[in-house]
Amino acid sequence: MQEVKALKEISNVNHPNEELIKTHCSYCGMQCGMNLRVNTKTNKIIGVEPRYEWPVTEGKMCPKGVTAYQQTNHKDRLLKPLIRDDASKKGTKEGFREASWDEALDLIVKNFKALQGKHGDDTLSVYSGVSMTNEKCYLTGKFARVALKTKYIDYNGRFCMASAAGGSLRSLGVDRGSSLPWTDLHQTDCLFIAGSNTAECHPTSMYRVWEVQNRGGYLIVVDPRETPIARRADLHLDLRPGTDLALANCMVHLLIKNGRVDEEFIKQHTNGFEETKELVALFTPEYTSEITGVSPEKLIRAAEIYGKAPNAIVMFARGVEQQSKGVDNVSAYINMALVSGKIGRPKSGVATFTGQGNGQGGREHGQKSDLLPGYRKITNPQHVKEVCEVWGIKPEEMPGPGVSAYELFELMDKKEIRGMYLLCSNPAVSAPNLNFVKNAMKNLDFMVCSDFYLSESAEFADVVLPTTTWAEDEGTVTNLEGRIIKINRAQKPLGECKTDWEIQIEIAKRYGKGKYFEHLKTAKDVADEFRLATKGGNADYSGATWEKIEKQNGVFWPCNEENVDGTPHMFLDKKFYHPDGKAKICALPYRPPAEEPNEQYPLRLTTGRVVYHYLSGNQTRRIPFLKDMCPEPYVEVHPELAKKYQIEHDQIIRLFTRRGEANYKVKITEAIRKDTVFVPYHFGHEQSINLLTNAALDPMSRMPEFKVCAAQIEKL
Amino acid sequence: MKKVLYIELENCIGCRSCLAGCTQCGGHEQRNRNYVIDVNPFVDRQTMPMMCLHCENPPCARSCPVQAIQVHETGAVLSAMTEKCLGCQNCTIACPYGIPKFDVEQNLMYKCDLCIDRTKDGIPPMCASVCPTNTLQWVTEEELAVKKSQFRLSNGMMASMEDPYLENKTNVHVSLPGILEGKEKLF
Repeated sequence: MQEVKALKEISNVNHPNEELIKTHCSYCGMQCGMNLRVNTKTNKIIGVEPRYEWPVTEGKMCPKGVTAYQQTNHKDRLLKPLIRDDASKKGTKEGFREASWDEALDLIVKNFKALQGKHGDDTLSVYSGVSMTNEKCYLTGKFARVALKTKYIDYNGRFCMASAAGGSLRSLGVDRGSSLPWTDLHQTDCLFIAGSNTAECHPTSMYRVWEVQNRGGYLIVVDPRETPIARRADLHLDLRPGTDLALANCMVHLLIKNGRVDEEFIKQHTNGFEETKELVALFTPEYTSEITGVSPEKLIRAAEIYGKAPNAIVMFARGVEQQSKGVDNVSAYINMALVSGKIGRPKSGVATFTGQGNGQGGREHGQKSDLLPGYRKITNPQHVKEVCEVWGIKPEEMPGPGVSAYELFELMDKKEIRGMYLLCSNPAVSAPNLNFVKNAMKNLDFMVCSDFYLSESAEFADVVLPTTTWAEDEGTVTNLEGRIIKINRAQKPLGECKTDWEIQIEIAKRYGKGKYFEHLKTAKDVADEFRLATKGGNADYSGATWEKIEKQNGVFWPCNEENVDGTPHMFLDKKFYHPDGKAKICALPYRPPAEEPNEQYPLRLTTGRVVYHYLSGNQTRRIPFLKDMCPEPYVEVHPELAKKYQIEHDQIIRLFTRRGEANYKVKITEAIRKDTVFVPYHFGHEQSINLLTNAALDPMSRMPEFKVCAAQIEKL
Repeated sequence: MKKVLYIELENCIGCRSCLAGCTQCGGHEQRNRNYVIDVNPFVDRQTMPMMCLHCENPPCARSCPVQAIQVHETGAVLSAMTEKCLGCQNCTIACPYGIPKFDVEQNLMYKCDLCIDRTKDGIPPMCASVCPTNTLQWVTEEELAVKKSQFRLSNGMMASMEDPYLENKTNVHVSLPGILEGKEKLF
């Protein structure tokens, strides 16, 4: 591996009349460092230069990152507020007219107030996202609860990180996605990666993954598909979608059987081992093989390698998390690290691959229906009191806990929610069971959408507000390591665009709540109040000043008076965040996916990403290079399955489930199980695979089961 | 210190970041100049970049009737000089790797120049800068020698491709898939 030191000496190309603005990518949780090239005469972003000195990614970028800059001055940018007077045109792109900010904001406040006057404060909902800065995420939570006074706020992390959060909280008492910095990855001896298509979803992790193998270490991948990372793995456990819990229980069973447990660690630092031991006794390789479809030999070999490895990291992602037992899957994989004591030291630990740019920070500070800044609970009176002191409201004014993202749509359907303020998200593509969700949005009395392009969700709005791209504002995000980093402004907002925090303050003022918001004049002002609001919480950012972030190449939370420089490695003192300081080894009985194949729907449908697109594709589908590389969705089918259905490569077929249907081009590949089909989820309208997916929710995280449902193919 | 482009095919994940990066060099008119190929698309996800290997005695330049293709002092085989190129496409036929591309509208050949605006000053080319997998690396001669001695196949052959290449020696060096074959495991 090329030395970090050598890379740091690389200088950038400086073109005449240009300056380089150091920042990070707008897309996934890797938050790759990049320099935006800005023309100093026009103040326009015109290109990208690698950021070689950024320690996490060393200049590397995926194709989305390389072309991310093309979003800002894109021809599709919304430059003025849009109003649609004719509600019958909802669900289409038609009927919008340009309006002034005053007209648009006045209309919003008039309608929101009328709805609340008639139906109560909780008739409004705020649906947010985490592809935006901590400052914006923080203010959105405050905006919903202080300005709109509604309890119904939730965010798109319910479709992304909620199960990882739930599992970490239960097992470790704290939800920081990674217990160690990414710069440890390539130094470990074994990577056990479950349900992560790392090469396509977090490509810039890959040089560290390969380096483990180059050093003679092992790579074990658990995935129904032979993804590009699985192709080179030492061991590929090609399980049936939705059976992770059995596989993880089997690993723990074998670790115990092989004597690869750390008894001292278990005794001193964990609870729950005996019950778990009893439960996993059932999960012999043979029994587990029946459930998962993975051969007993492979299971035995995987446990042997992980058990023997001096250092090992267990990693997981949406493949295990987007299930109706996602939280259990996460805890079950964390069990592997806890029983073997491979956590709480460098080069060993657990990590989830955070999906969205600020998936980590965005879930910690009050956009989730039950959380307040600093990972405080809205149901804990002490926590409420602490936040109320910062916000200047009385505890009795704080709304209670709301419901999760998908459940918001259920309440819209029941008319319990009649208004929505949507920002930084595109649920008309990303939510499951889309026929239901789109209908719920269409039936809203009044909907506002803030976006920088006219997304599929904006098509349901009465008012669309033009907001800024990431490069037109500044603030912090927290990457997949738990490292707080700084996004810098490279260009002035285009047209009449405003940042989401400015928009919310404008609405709050018109709502008569100006006194809680007007003191926030800059992003830095929001940042300072935000840090104060996190002080004393588990996710304590109080010491993470912008200056410190700049100086230290980011700051790992918790960063407070005890940990002034932040905390790159968690649990080094073997203290976990439960009240007794111990981690919890969880005994988790296996249960199948909510929908199992039957005669009518004999196939397992799973969904995921491709390397060229991000989330709902609202951004990446507009970038010419990315669109050229992947212009449309397809269904991956094993050649034997194709033969059975008598379908051929590139043929268009109808794929359907109990909830919906769509037509896709067949892509024949041996790199998938014979009982499973795969469709990427980045596409809108009639191409959305989420028309078909199952909204069965995890009982703890309320995460829908995107990753498995029963489906059938029909030849057209 | 002189550095060279080194390609480790085993690492490629097919993300085509190298092609996206190629458009961003500043001297490439936002057009990418290389290829990434699906090796066996119906079977697995193996992909490989097809980059200009910058031959020491490049057939593209040899075949050019008007010497439009120059070899830079660093060894980089440059794109056709726009004022000289006739658009005869000899080079596209002569190159055994199929690298030179042809712009029909401009009647002009264009190819990888190893980001000469960067590499002449010791800055890595864009493809190797952004490659998320270290398939494309910008290494010193010493680092290259280590790679060549490391990657030995079970049949005694080097995984590192030695000359003769399809044409003659090249300034870019390639390791074929199989670099992990003889790897001694840690445990």
